[in-house]
Parts: sequence; structure tokens; C-alpha cells
Amino acid sequence: MTNPQQFETFMQNYQNMVFSTAMRLLAKQVEAEDVTQEVFLKAYANFAQLQDNPSAGGWLKTVATNLCLNHLSRYRSRWSFFSELFGGTEDEPAQPEFPAADNIEEALNQSDRREAVERALQELPAAQRVPLVLHHLEDLGYEEIAAKLGISLGKVKTDLFRGREALRRKLRLKLDPEDSLN
Amino acid sequence: MKPGQETQLEKLIQRELKTLPELPAPATVADQVMAAIARRAQIPWYHRSWAEWPGALQAMSLVVMLVLFAGLCLAGAHVPQTRLAGDAAHQANRWFAGLDVIGNTLKVLADSAGLAFHQLGSGLLVAVAVAAGVGYALCLGLGTLYCRTVFLKR
Repeated sequence: MTNPQQFETFMQNYQNMVFSTAMRLLAKQVEAEDVTQEVFLKAYANFAQLQDNPSAGGWLKTVATNLCLNHLSRYRSRWSFFSELFGGTEDEPAQPEFPAADNIEEALNQSDRREAVERALQELPAAQRVPLVLHHLEDLGYEEIAAKLGISLGKVKTDLFRGREALRRKLRLKLDPEDSLN
Repeated sequence: MKPGQETQLEKLIQRELKTLPELPAPATVADQVMAAIARRAQIPWYHRSWAEWPGALQAMSLVVMLVLFAGLCLAGAHVPQTRLAGDAAHQANRWFAGLDVIGNTLKVLADSAGLAFHQLGSGLLVAVAVAAGVGYALCLGLGTLYCRTVFLKR
């Protein structure tokens, strides 16, 4: 029988990690909270196996990622056509809402900077944000991302490039022209 | 963009994203999970999925199902030889006689639809199909607009 107190401690250890994964993939707090709750309800049902398992974090992350992707694909298949028709936000990232300083790196301190990166990431359209998060934060390869999202390898690469470029523009990061030959 | 710059961009974004700390989960999440667990614990075993039944009940239900299956197999092998089986088959024929009536009705309806198609011409039917499609698309579009304006702003 699962001890609720032990589970609460377990949850406290992992809740930020699960919530971060959900929040970065979904970019909506209410939905991220729902997914986090669902992940821990599944974890409770499997707590006997997870309790002392060193790979519990990986299990939670995988479940959170899969639930988020299910959520996004359900939403996308239902509304994508019309959202693109009315909003067209998938290929037109929102304009940055950051201070107009020339070099934002100097203008922001570390904490503000992280907040700005987080906000910029959340403002990206799902088609760009999700592959970026899966590749750079969840360490998935291109093929794995293509398989998980059910899209072609070429589309993954294009979306990743567009996402990185949009993020660079939003954060006003500068590329070194001298470094282009490396 | 040059190929070298693409790699540079990838490294730049990797560096930015990898420094992100975990986001703090709202304090309410843990309470909501524990409340949901408490609610689930109050549900009696027979209202839960089979996988959540107590082990003894799972084993017992498995035995009962196996006995029932074996009984059905035995009955299947012996019943057709009895007089009772003949009566049952006769009774079943009477019950399903109604299906003939339904089949005939469907045939008449299909014939009528075919006749209407020939009389009215395909143009009218295509127009009706297009109107239905436009109506469906309009409903879906309005629903999407509603969702985008009401739910997605939250």
C-alpha cells in the first residue's frame, strides 16, 4: 500500500521538473498544471516501482512529454486548419516585447535574462517550440523527434532552424560573422 | 545563412536553453494531486478498473471467467444435439424475422433515392452536398474562433 506521506515527498522532489517540462512544451500554465497532475496520478499508481528507482525522474519526464504531445496533437488536429486561417500564428512569430536596448545581454541581469529566454520560448508557435524543447532540453535526436511528432525529418530540421532563428531574433543574440567557416 | 553560422546558432541556442533553471510548480499542484488521490481511494473496488482490484479478487475473477469459458465451450459442444437446441433455433428464427422487414424497407428507400437522383439530376445533389460542407466548415470555424478568443487567452 502506498504511503501518502512518502508519495508527497516524492512529488515535492520532482514536481518542478515535471511542471517545467509541461510548461515549456505547452506554454500554458493551466494546461501544464493539468498535465503535471495527471503525471503524478500515474506515478501514484506505479509508486511501488518508482519509489526507490533511480530512473524515476526519467520515467516522469517521458510520461510528461508524451502527455503533452498527446494534448498538443489532439488540439492541433482539431483546430489547426482554422487557427492558421484566422490567426496565421504558426509561421509568424509574435513581435518581441523586450526592451529596445541594442545589446540585451548587457541590459539584463542573469535572472531577468532567464526570464526573457523563458518568455521568448513560450511566445514561439508550437511547431517551433516543441522541437526546440525536445532537442535542446530533453536531448532527443532529430529522428526521435520526427517519430514522436509524426513528421518528416526534413520538417523537424526546418522547424528547429526557424525556432532557433526566431529565438535569436527575440533575444537579439548576435552571430559572429568570422565564425561562419568553422 | 551560411552552414557554419547554422552550427553557431545551434550552439548559441543550446547554451541559452541549457542554463534555464526548473520552473517552480504552483503550490496548489501537490494539494490537487493529493485531493485527487484521496477521492480515488474512496471509490469502491467494483467501480475501479480490473487492474486496480485487490489481488485476491483479481485471481478469483480470473478463475470465475475460466470456469464460465469452459462451461460455454462444453455447452457449445453438447447443446446442438438436444431437442431444446432445436426449439431455441426456431425461436431465434421468429425473433429475427423482423430483420427481413427492415431489409425490405431499406431496399425501398434505396430505390427511391436512386429514382430521385435520376429525376432531380446530379447538380442539385452536388449543391446540397456543398451547402452541407460549407455549413460544417462554418460551424467548425466559429467553434475555433470561440476557443481562440475565450479559452486560449487564459
